[in-house]
Amino acid sequence: MRTWYFSEMAYHPAWEKGLERGSLRVNFPSENLDPREAGLLLNRYLDEFALCDEVGLDIMVNEHHSTATCMTVSVPMALSVIARETKKARLLSLGNPIANRPDPVRVAEEMAWLDCLSGGRIEIGLVKGAPYEIAPANSNPGRLMRRYWEAHDLVIKALSTSTGPFSWEGEFYQYRAVNIWPRPIQQPTPPIWMTGMSVDTGIAAAERGHVVGTLLSGGLAKPMYEAYRKRARELGWEAGPDRMAYAALIGVGNTREEGMRRAHQIADYVRTSPVVAEPFTNPPGYNSIGANVAMLRAGPRAHRMITDRNGVTIDHRTATVEQFMDTETVFAGTPDDVFNQLKAFNARMGGVGHLLFFGQGGHLSHQDAKENISLFGREVAPRLLELGVPEQAAAE
Amino acid sequence: MGRQLTVAGVSLEIEEKGQGRPILFLHPGEGLQANRPWMDALARSHRVIAPVHPGFGGSALPDWIGTVDDLAYLYLDLARQLKLDGAVLAGNCFGGWIAAEMAVRNTAGFAGLLLAAPLGIKAGGVLDRDITDMHAIGRTDFMRLAWADPSKGEIDYTKLPDTELAGIARGREALCVFGWKPYMHNPRLKRWLHRIDIPTHLIWGEQDGIVSTSYGEAWKAEIPGATMETLPQAGHYPHWEQPDAFAARVKAFTDRI
Repeated sequence: MRTWYFSEMAYHPAWEKGLERGSLRVNFPSENLDPREAGLLLNRYLDEFALCDEVGLDIMVNEHHSTATCMTVSVPMALSVIARETKKARLLSLGNPIANRPDPVRVAEEMAWLDCLSGGRIEIGLVKGAPYEIAPANSNPGRLMRRYWEAHDLVIKALSTSTGPFSWEGEFYQYRAVNIWPRPIQQPTPPIWMTGMSVDTGIAAAERGHVVGTLLSGGLAKPMYEAYRKRARELGWEAGPDRMAYAALIGVGNTREEGMRRAHQIADYVRTSPVVAEPFTNPPGYNSIGANVAMLRAGPRAHRMITDRNGVTIDHRTATVEQFMDTETVFAGTPDDVFNQLKAFNARMGGVGHLLFFGQGGHLSHQDAKENISLFGREVAPRLLELGVPEQAAAE
Repeated sequence: MGRQLTVAGVSLEIEEKGQGRPILFLHPGEGLQANRPWMDALARSHRVIAPVHPGFGGSALPDWIGTVDDLAYLYLDLARQLKLDGAVLAGNCFGGWIAAEMAVRNTAGFAGLLLAAPLGIKAGGVLDRDITDMHAIGRTDFMRLAWADPSKGEIDYTKLPDTELAGIARGREALCVFGWKPYMHNPRLKRWLHRIDIPTHLIWGEQDGIVSTSYGEAWKAEIPGATMETLPQAGHYPHWEQPDAFAARVKAFTDRI
């Protein structure tokens, strides 16, 4: 299991006001942000990313828009800085929200440029994006996935073609001369990742051999990984742990109490990220018809809940660290505690090759974040590298 | 459920009721809702033909249909297929936009155009929001803006069968496919409204919070000879909220053309 550190580079000083208004996203005015403080925080977060290279962790960056929960507005911008400040870490863009981007060729250009700049360390996530990203991008939620797949195919074709230009006359995108300079070091393309929370995503990723990632719920992850492995087998290949990724919040400390305290602070990310005004949570077309029927049937007061390993429902907005540990949203404690929890998780999931280590969140201080990163990098990550396919899964 | 009719290769659900001068009625973004009393009220003196838009309810949405232009040509084909003659072309909200797009292209078979709070044109400047962003407000706020009396519009979705809920969910996505960007309008349509060469009447609910009566005035100014009247105690869906008064106004219009 490889470890990829990431942080959303939050603007937590505005969280309290956002929570009072019932929305931290889309319609939360930016007068609630002090740009100089934002600059200080961005520099601090970039220092934390740079530290990962020293302690042997890989790095992942994501992006969101119009929100106090994440100031990264452009993955390639952040990775440009990080690529210059690191030497060894692999750099994962997870990702490029391609269904919300008007120009997929530009996405391919940026990723190829970063691959050159970093000496071939880039991995490319092509993601659908969260529902509340539709409004800031003003992208059409109708036929979203058709647009996603056309953009996906075009990005890969642009990255892997060195004998261009070629033309593209599709339903959503039209170009007459695609010929990206520079082209990527990693041929035919850097590794491609997808993300999702459903069995369908697992199947779609398996059909293309991409890495599939999911987040914050072991209960949702397991059927997705199983669908991936089954589909790969049907197609005549065996999907190893290196095709599966999982994002979790992790607090590690010299004592169990310290690890739990860090996890508690980082978990504010999960408590705040779903806080968004109602109309942006489910733009028509974003979710399947079946999911929308279920939501209409459930009535207006129902909101998103997940269930823990015992089938108990957990409300993300108010849950404790202990509850989040039961849903495999959080791993926390001493380095030994966290390693043992992740080892057991790896066994339950049938082998997960990539851990996306959410190691900073909101009010966790710079000092705590650095210690969390260092302790994990030195004490936990090297042992996780030894974890492969769990014995039980290999025997099946 | 209405009958299915195939037009230009598209399977459409169509409701039809009544005798008399035909009205081709194009429904709003919230769907056809044939069980509300508006259809019976109109059918007392007209033959009402009301297709369910592609992607809504029981109508198909093939991949190749994706714009209001497509809907305009589809319904012009439907009018020809039904051999409509001397008919009234009517539409409310999103359906009014489609009706206007048809009328700037071809009015053969139609004697008059009736638009009830149509969406579809850009009237103000870049910072003016002519059409309320219905996708940026919660359901409660939407109901408050769209109805003079929101309690008359409430639907308890938890009591509807899954097939009907699926039709509603499909329709909501289809409305986005057709109208997300530019939001619920065609920036070029206003310049072509002068082509409409049949008597045109606009009806507006006085409490319409989705598109205001001043937006209606912009429509009236662009369509040669158009008339306009407002309906009290009505919001954005005057045919649903005041079915009898609406039907009476429609009859008065069809009697004079």
